[in-house]
Amino acid sequence: MSTLAALVLAAAAAVTAPKAPAPTPAAAAGVLDEVKRPGASAVLVNVWATWCSPCREEFPDLLHVARELAPKGLRLVLVSVDFPDAGSETQDFLTSQGVDFPTFLRTGKDEAFVDELEPQWSGAIPVTLLYDANGKLVRFWEGKASYPVIKKRALAALAIKERP
Amino acid sequence: MIRTLRATIPVILSLVATASLAGGPLPIGAGMPMADVKMKGVDGKELALADVKTAQGTLVVFTCNHCPFAKMWETRIVELGNAYAAKGVGVIAINANDPKVAAEDSYEVMQQRAKDRGMQFPYVVDATSGLARAFGATKTPEAFLFDKDGKLVYHGAVDDNGQEPAKVENAYLKNALEAVVAGKDVAVKETKSIGCGIKFRS
Repeated sequence: MSTLAALVLAAAAAVTAPKAPAPTPAAAAGVLDEVKRPGASAVLVNVWATWCSPCREEFPDLLHVARELAPKGLRLVLVSVDFPDAGSETQDFLTSQGVDFPTFLRTGKDEAFVDELEPQWSGAIPVTLLYDANGKLVRFWEGKASYPVIKKRALAALAIKERP
Repeated sequence: MIRTLRATIPVILSLVATASLAGGPLPIGAGMPMADVKMKGVDGKELALADVKTAQGTLVVFTCNHCPFAKMWETRIVELGNAYAAKGVGVIAINANDPKVAAEDSYEVMQQRAKDRGMQFPYVVDATSGLARAFGATKTPEAFLFDKDGKLVYHGAVDDNGQEPAKVENAYLKNALEAVVAGKDVAVKETKSIGCGIKFRS
């Protein structure tokens, strides 16, 4: 999708979409509970912030993959690391992207959050973590990825379930 | 020839894969990589890590201008840098970000920032992001401290509370600097924080 098309879609979503739910404050354990909550065949966790430009850039691609693969059992868990003084900015951005499902806002100290979410993560954002149906980490990547890359990786994680 | 190529391509591909897998940060105990590569400082002079390195230890901080996390710690980085540079430690701040991705990370803004903050140590451009890659740095700010023998003894965050300086419980980098100056072992060698991913130049 071109940047222009993405912007037009985002603008259209901002006009027509209902307000996104306010992110729920959560420590890493709360995010991992959501990863392990039954019902998903694979889970994508994305840690982002409104001030992080690569995060904003990859957002439409993440949502595109999540919507497309939701029928196959993919769950997207969005975790903002915005600061408390961000106010409504986080929710406004989620609304502009058409997010209509619950998301998280990390609480507590950064070091504990990073280590408890995934010890291999350096702490750089954006980071995306991909889990299989059992909540086992399949792979993770720091930095933004594009729609085809995210989709290919998500499909690979969804396929794990089908293995005998 | 074709046979040779067929045989060679998988080898090259596997080497590339190995190289990217081999990433990760410089391990504790390692020496300083790419120490002879000259980088342009905010004063216009070219200098390398080897020019900054001293027998009292060397602090290398990957930072930038635009990142909110770098900004949160900026005052503390400058205070620590100035204080320990005065004690003889070699100190250098490096911006490895591509200003084409984050315009605020330009050389001109670096010059202004160094002036505004009163940096008494070099702030240089990693023009290929090669230093950041060699160090395995992934985000800003990220500190690497070398001891008197040039071995890495600390890697990670400035302290444990970027947002609220008054509530810092563990001043990791300061404690490590103090240990290096005193010739003692650094107690906490590796820490983490959330930071802005480095905008590597391609």
